[in-house]
Amino acid sequence: MVQKKICLLGAFAVGKTSLVMRYVNSIFGEKYHTTVGVKIDKKQLVADGEEITLMIWDLAGQDDLTRLRTSYLRGVSGYVIVADGTRPFSLNTAINMHKEAREYTGDVPFIVAINKADLREEQWQVEEEQLKALEDDGATIILTSAKTGDGVEEMFQKLTQNMLAFDSENTSSDTERK
Amino acid sequence: MSAILSKVLQSMNIVVFHRLEDKTFQLLNSPPPWLEHFCGHQASVNEVVPVEGIFPFLDCFLEEAEEFWESKVSTPHRSGPWVDFTPHGEEIPLEAIALWEDDKPLLVLQDLGEEYYNEVVRLQGFRDGALNKESLEKEILSQTKQIRIREEEIAMKLLSAAGHRDHETAEHVRRIGLYAEVIAEALNWDKAATADIRIAAPMHDIGKIGIPDRVLLKPGKLTEEEFEEMKEHAAIGADMLSGTNIPLLNTASEIAMCHHEKWDGTGYPKGLSGKEIPESARITTIVDVYDALVHRRVYKEASSEETALKIMGQMVGKHFDPELYQVFLDNLDQIRNIKETYVEPSS
Repeated sequence: MVQKKICLLGAFAVGKTSLVMRYVNSIFGEKYHTTVGVKIDKKQLVADGEEITLMIWDLAGQDDLTRLRTSYLRGVSGYVIVADGTRPFSLNTAINMHKEAREYTGDVPFIVAINKADLREEQWQVEEEQLKALEDDGATIILTSAKTGDGVEEMFQKLTQNMLAFDSENTSSDTERK
Repeated sequence: MSAILSKVLQSMNIVVFHRLEDKTFQLLNSPPPWLEHFCGHQASVNEVVPVEGIFPFLDCFLEEAEEFWESKVSTPHRSGPWVDFTPHGEEIPLEAIALWEDDKPLLVLQDLGEEYYNEVVRLQGFRDGALNKESLEKEILSQTKQIRIREEEIAMKLLSAAGHRDHETAEHVRRIGLYAEVIAEALNWDKAATADIRIAAPMHDIGKIGIPDRVLLKPGKLTEEEFEEMKEHAAIGADMLSGTNIPLLNTASEIAMCHHEKWDGTGYPKGLSGKEIPESARITTIVDVYDALVHRRVYKEASSEETALKIMGQMVGKHFDPELYQVFLDNLDQIRNIKETYVEPSS
């Protein structure tokens, strides 16, 4: 079975752990529990007819005390940048972390998850300019809610498909070179 | 390693491996019980343990550790904490350290236990505090926005009272503010000052409220004496809007006082010239003239934009600040959009 390492990155309290919990264990807790260091979970799925095991690295959120340790991205096949749609600064953090991650990982697939979409009607504060900056950089943006589960499965599935497509493109271009 | 030291390390939940030449790992001390959960058996001292594959996190760190051992740096290299789960679901916070000791490359694994959970509590407190602060800031922003909307409403009501006397329309008032905002934005004014000029610029003629009807509403040309009386509206307006510590009203006051000043010093009431005239007033002067030219008034028909710009072009350097006029021209598309959005009601 193919195994892929993916990382979840983003500012603190945007819901990275909650997204993993929702996806892996189908549960959600309202209370915020901070992540220290790294937590790794596994999930098996089928994408494009292929069985895949995702090794999901949930990295501690970034704030003044915790910066992204890029060495955690070693061997990563793709990553998810998570932002909180009710906290505009978290999208700026996401954009900056993406730039930092990109320098380390190169061109691997990534998805931007704008989480807490269940609060879209009341507290949504996503600015079009911020989304445009990410889209211009080739981001697929998916609105997610770890609370309701909306978009969560889709986000992991999409990233996995993108990773498989990326592998296949790279394999064929390697073959062509030979 | 001595038996005592081995036991001490075991009791401290620490495992020490010697990284051998062939990149395998030999256990150097009696391991704490948690290692068995991951290895599947109770490893013994000097046993070569297949560390790779046991902890996904460690597989990643070992690549870094190899680089560290090759470089022979003396300071230990720490992995940072990670959380692993035993097959029974028990959470174990671990940290790996690569180091050199006695010319041997060593790998230390430690169950951080209490130390990790203390760090969690410390960071949780810090982040809960940061979230509270963020939420308060959001609330303040939202309240400030509400206050700003109310300020704008009050200003519009005041202006409509003044407008009743000289028949200025609500659309004209709104347009002047929006044009001025476009220029302030183009000049990179900060957000608060830009929002201020949007509300302040329309108040430039508020002093007309203090001009007698016989002068203000006189249909024909004003006599010299009447014109002198009319000129007082600048100082009256400035006086009405002064005397507070509200930045918006201070801006409105300086605009009211100086919107008839001219770049070459021939304006009134003070005869200021060039950059002695506040920038807010220099902006308002340009947009007010533009709006007056391209709209119909009781005493004149509307000019085409082309004609208006021709007339205004002749006023540059005399009446208008040349640099600001250029900014106005650079942003004409936006200005035109505003003009077309806020149209005069058909009479």
